[in-house]
Amino acid sequence: MTAGPPHCIVLGVIGADCHSVGNTILDAFFTDAGFKVVNLGVMVSQDEFIDAAIESDAKAILVSSLYGHGEIDCAGFRGRCIERGLGGVLLYVGGNLVVGRRPFAEVEAKFKAMGFDRVFPPGVDLDAAAALLRADIEEAAHARA
Amino acid sequence: MPAPRWAVCVDIGSTFTKGAVFGFEGGVGRLVARAEAPTTTEDLARGFETVRKEVAARARAREPGFSPGEAAVRFSSSSRGGLRIAAIGIVPDLTLSVARLAAASAGGKVVKSFAYTLTAADVAALEALDPDIVLLTGGTDGGDEKHNLANAAALAGARITSTILYAGNRAARDAVVEILAARNCIAADNVMPEVGVVRVEPAREAIRRVFLRRIVEGKGLAALAAALGTDPKPTPLAVYEMVRALSEECPEWRDVCVLDIGGATTDCYSAVEPFRGEPGVVLHGIREPRLTRTVEGDCGLRVSAEALWESGRALIERELAAAPPEEAAAFAAHIARVTERPAQAPASAEESRFDAIMARACAALALKRHAGAMRAVYTAGGKAWVQRGKDLRGVTRAIGTGGYLARNAEDDFLARALAALAPEPEERFLFPEAPVLYADRDHVVPLIGSLAAEWPREAAQLLAARLRPVAEGVERERDRRP
Repeated sequence: MTAGPPHCIVLGVIGADCHSVGNTILDAFFTDAGFKVVNLGVMVSQDEFIDAAIESDAKAILVSSLYGHGEIDCAGFRGRCIERGLGGVLLYVGGNLVVGRRPFAEVEAKFKAMGFDRVFPPGVDLDAAAALLRADIEEAAHARA
Repeated sequence: MPAPRWAVCVDIGSTFTKGAVFGFEGGVGRLVARAEAPTTTEDLARGFETVRKEVAARARAREPGFSPGEAAVRFSSSSRGGLRIAAIGIVPDLTLSVARLAAASAGGKVVKSFAYTLTAADVAALEALDPDIVLLTGGTDGGDEKHNLANAAALAGARITSTILYAGNRAARDAVVEILAARNCIAADNVMPEVGVVRVEPAREAIRRVFLRRIVEGKGLAALAAALGTDPKPTPLAVYEMVRALSEECPEWRDVCVLDIGGATTDCYSAVEPFRGEPGVVLHGIREPRLTRTVEGDCGLRVSAEALWESGRALIERELAAAPPEEAAAFAAHIARVTERPAQAPASAEESRFDAIMARACAALALKRHAGAMRAVYTAGGKAWVQRGKDLRGVTRAIGTGGYLARNAEDDFLARALAALAPEPEERFLFPEAPVLYADRDHVVPLIGSLAAEWPREAAQLLAARLRPVAEGVERERDRRP
């Protein structure tokens, strides 16, 4: 655990996606792992993620997408963050991001090109993800200092 | 604390000062006498005394046992058009929207809102308005501080006499108060401590205290408050407390809304579960409290008639379309006339008919802005609905109050106003579904309201007994039709 107040992160399932089970698990897990979680639930728009991150001064936005339309829903997300003054926020995305069986490396490259800092497949070790998230947040803080 | 044997209640409105004597026997209340007189704007105490004496004389005539010395005196005031508040938040859909909610529920009128960081032009606009209160919010607790610090610095240099109420991120509170040390600055708990969580009570209480200081200054109210040993309430706060008491104390009035159609504003109050949580419906944005008030400054029958003609034009023109063409010109003339002479009651059948059209437009617009809506979203799992704002479908009873409705207690304005709001296929407005409309025939809602915080049960039961459903009038009207 790091000293000081917990890092704040915003969590939600993007687009017209109602899958709530994974979202509930992520909320409980990251809260237990010492993060301050702002969970927006399901069917969240890009602007709602950004609104919540602005008010809560979140260091990262974790976007879930389970229904295969992640590419369309996430298009332009980084640009929107920049436009709204959140250019430096960490963007994570994970889930069943695209329809069909495409190699994960391809999916990861696509979403990184869209401005996401980390891309996760459906099955992921959450402890490892939390460690990455903490390291990324602290690195970003150092870079700003 | 048991209810007093007698209560004298006075409401100082912008046009009329109204008074009533209520009697309480074993906790059961009754209206003993009612009186009103024009408001004396240069010295409010004069109109107050006229009404108090008149209503006491009438009470004595009716009940010789009435003794003014034994009566509790409570009063409210909406003079000066209420408290003018400028709201500042960060994100329009989050803290700014909650700030507006807090201002309205305290009985204030939001004259301007600002999102994100104040610009030089925003500060100039604030200086021109010089509102009674600047409500500065922003950030969840532990969240964003930089917008608040920048806005505090901008306010520190602004040429305004306003009280600045800080109700944002508590982590920035000390710094904001320090930046504004040379100004009249007070602080209250954050109105949105977590994203989507609304907590307006502490800010509301702070606004009420500022109201007392501001409203009591001058115009004779300070001396009056000192002589009576009781402070005035903002009239909308008295009504707000009335709605709370009614909803909490009388089970059949649990889910209620009140439409107060006045000369300058239309106020809508509701006490109802804001989100039902039905399957397939997701709530987005803030979850509003059970009890809320909204106030529409462009919906009024007199002072705001011109503004209503603008905002409600589509609704009004639809009603006029059914009438002969000369009716539209006559309506425009009516708007000009009532704007010029706001104290005048309608003098002809035509004027009454026009007032009725305006009242329906006020009700429709105020409800549309008070109520939330659901939008259809097509998901992989089928159709789902996203709700924003407050669900009023659970409202079973509605109360119409205000001078117009006291004169036209048989006007079932609500059913017609709701019918005028055509549904849209992919959007559902969350209006009350077939509520029973009750008329405040004696215009006692604000008067009993001034007792509601201290004696909620007695006040609620007294009001419930005074209200009559309008449906009987509707049936009579239906019978009259050819």
